[in-house]
Amino acid sequence: MGTTASQLGKELLSEYQELTFLTKQEILLAHKRFTELLTREEKDIPNVRVPMERILTLPELKSNPFRKRICYVFSTSEHKDGSLTFEDFLDLLSAFSDSATMEIKSHYAFRIFDFDDDGTLDSDDLQKLVNCLTGETDDTQLTFEEMKQLISNILEESDIDKDGTVNLSEFQHVISRSPDFVSSFKIVL
Amino acid sequence: MQDSAYNNGLGAHSDRQSLRMRRAPSRSSSRKYPHLDPSSDPDPDEDSDDGPTRDLRTIPLQMGLKRTVRQAQQMQTPIVSDGYSWKKKNKSLLKLKTVAIEILHFFTLWRKSMQKIGGNFGGGVLSYFLFLRFLVLLNFFSFLLIAGFVIIPSVVFRSEEGSSVNSTGREECMVYNPNPQGLVVFYTYFLDFLSGTGFIEFTYLFYGFYNNNSNNINVSYNIPLAYLSTAAFFLLFCLFCIIIRMGTTARVAVATGGSVEGSYSMLVFTGWDYSSTGGQATKLKQQNIYYRLQVDLEEERIKKKSASLTQCQKVSLYSGRVCLFILAFGFIGAAIAGIFFATNFSQQNSDQEGILGLFYEYLPSIVITGANFIVPLLNDQIAPLERYSPSVTVIMALFRAVLLRLVSLIILLYTLWRQITCEKTPEDCALCKYNVKVYQCWETRVGQEMYKLTLFDLIINFAMLFLVEIPRRIVVDNWPNKLTRWVGRQEFVVPYNVLGLVYGQTVVWTGAFFCPLLPLINTIKFIILFYTKKTTLFTNCRPALRTFRSTTSSFFFSGILLLGLFLASLVMIYSVAEIHPSMACGPFRIFNSMWEVVPVSITKLTQTTREFLFFIGSQAFSIPLFALSCLMLCYIVALSNVYKKSVTLLKTQLKLEGQDKRFLVRQIERFSRM
Repeated sequence: MGTTASQLGKELLSEYQELTFLTKQEILLAHKRFTELLTREEKDIPNVRVPMERILTLPELKSNPFRKRICYVFSTSEHKDGSLTFEDFLDLLSAFSDSATMEIKSHYAFRIFDFDDDGTLDSDDLQKLVNCLTGETDDTQLTFEEMKQLISNILEESDIDKDGTVNLSEFQHVISRSPDFVSSFKIVL
Repeated sequence: MQDSAYNNGLGAHSDRQSLRMRRAPSRSSSRKYPHLDPSSDPDPDEDSDDGPTRDLRTIPLQMGLKRTVRQAQQMQTPIVSDGYSWKKKNKSLLKLKTVAIEILHFFTLWRKSMQKIGGNFGGGVLSYFLFLRFLVLLNFFSFLLIAGFVIIPSVVFRSEEGSSVNSTGREECMVYNPNPQGLVVFYTYFLDFLSGTGFIEFTYLFYGFYNNNSNNINVSYNIPLAYLSTAAFFLLFCLFCIIIRMGTTARVAVATGGSVEGSYSMLVFTGWDYSSTGGQATKLKQQNIYYRLQVDLEEERIKKKSASLTQCQKVSLYSGRVCLFILAFGFIGAAIAGIFFATNFSQQNSDQEGILGLFYEYLPSIVITGANFIVPLLNDQIAPLERYSPSVTVIMALFRAVLLRLVSLIILLYTLWRQITCEKTPEDCALCKYNVKVYQCWETRVGQEMYKLTLFDLIINFAMLFLVEIPRRIVVDNWPNKLTRWVGRQEFVVPYNVLGLVYGQTVVWTGAFFCPLLPLINTIKFIILFYTKKTTLFTNCRPALRTFRSTTSSFFFSGILLLGLFLASLVMIYSVAEIHPSMACGPFRIFNSMWEVVPVSITKLTQTTREFLFFIGSQAFSIPLFALSCLMLCYIVALSNVYKKSVTLLKTQLKLEGQDKRFLVRQIERFSRM
């Protein structure tokens, strides 16, 4: 199963509606934007996989500091190269949609922040995370002492079992206290 | 494990539908994510109402795997005819719900503008605009309420009634001639529109126009009672809406047993807004976060340092703070005295004509606005000397500005009250129990004051836009030198703008009883304000580096709004209960006090209804009710305490279990080495 060349069948559309949080208009819009990324030859291939560089040309992702991590997390490619099929793209939009639940969003946020993919957020992950948040250039990054102070504060607040890393449940506990999270973890085409 | 923990063998099976293959990945992934195990059935009791569709979407798996799960679930579900139709009904209900949500989304006011503002300027500025939208909707629905129960019946019954007004009371008290006499110059219309006098005074805009139709036997709609109860209900409705708005943030705090206050982990994990597009907005947000982190870390260092101050330094710091506090209050006191004198002066010279007369009429508003502009500036200058941490500084500045704004309003109302009830010259009130010499219809006069304040606020905002902000941007952009760089582009300071909104809304609430169309005017004014502020934001302002936490701040804004509502209710209760209504105008002209209409109407009801109402008002009912509410309050407080305690207990338990786990792992390692 997969996307047919240029149009979505009705059956497929309703299946996607059941399996994701997207509405019919959102799925159709996603399909339109996705096919715009394809070259003419690729349009005829079912289940085509678009490389990460082309996905990152989408304006919604272009300036997001987590764009590469997002592509890696949602990619089902065997080579771990961040390329996305249309269904991966729908999964991405579903997790970032308006109606997705807090659990889904926090689960994927955790995976996006886990830079080394080991299932927990340790100090290296947190350091990379903070650097993404504050900016790539040198003058917008915190000094070494500030970073150390910040990471120790974060671990003190969120690491409940004191094992030096933040696991998924601890992360979800922090997230659940924030009323802004669901509305800010949103990408709408 | 070489592969990433998430995709152990999952990627290879995405194309295959085999059920056998489905089991293999779940074992390895469920070690790290036990709730993802697709072979386990979701709790059948809980989710049977939602149907299988709900479960599938909430499983964080790839599309191919979700499809396999769905097929497996469909095979497992027994096809019973009853269950099947129930699920179908639920499906259609769900579809209806999604359609309703989509329609509601379409009607949400200014949704795209809000997204644009939030993406470019961040959550702090967005909270101002969300607050403004809330006030627009509140005013609009209040207007609909008033229109439905007071204005439309007045229009309908006025045409039926004719001009039969029962004359009660002394002749001197009944004189009321609001219409202009003789030839009227053209520009007086404009002046009258701005000050609420002349041609606009005897219209539906003000209290004085409404009639008391309880004499008319054909009509059973009691306009005075409707007027009074609509005013009361309108204030209760606003109270209800504000409390609901405050409720969401407070609820999270109670349930999790702690404050919602931003902490470092909260900022780092939830601080990024994924919907902001554009390189400029991203850089902005990054700068924002960087600044916030720096500020928070610095505050922590300051706190640690101040905890280690010597005794002598502490004394000097606190004495300095006390002096500056007194100085700040001195500024506020001077401003208040100035407003007092201006209002008195304006009242004394209220009979002047022409432009000078208009100036005297608007003098209190001018002085109030001037004071509200200058005093916060002065306070901002002395704030660095107090050496509070940045967040406390902002709160102190807001608190002082709020005090000044609301007190200036109180002074104005107090002066008016003194005039109406003749504090200074008691002989003027002997005749009609209110100052009939100056105010033939005092309610309209109060309404006019509030109307003038509202209009003046709007005019000032326009003037600021055209005379200050646009020129400032033109100068700063086109003549770059040291001075203009120091002044810089305008910054959109959220707290002071919000105070302007709260002040405007308080004025409207105070005046709505005396000027029923004021909520409508305020709706239009706030809509105009929205577009004005949006234009100024995008064309004139540079983004503020100092952010304001949006969730705690919206709680704080709603809290101040409650303060304003409380003040307005006080004014209304006092004028309804204590002051004698004008005998020449208005729906309460035959009563001795406005409240009297309620007992009079009750006597017209049937015996049983009267007894029931008396019972509700008596002590036998109200004291148990009061006791019950206290009990409910205690229960809820106790519940919140219990939640807090259980959260702490569970946290300690988790910590201990983590220690146990590490101890056992160490033991295993030790034994395996032996």
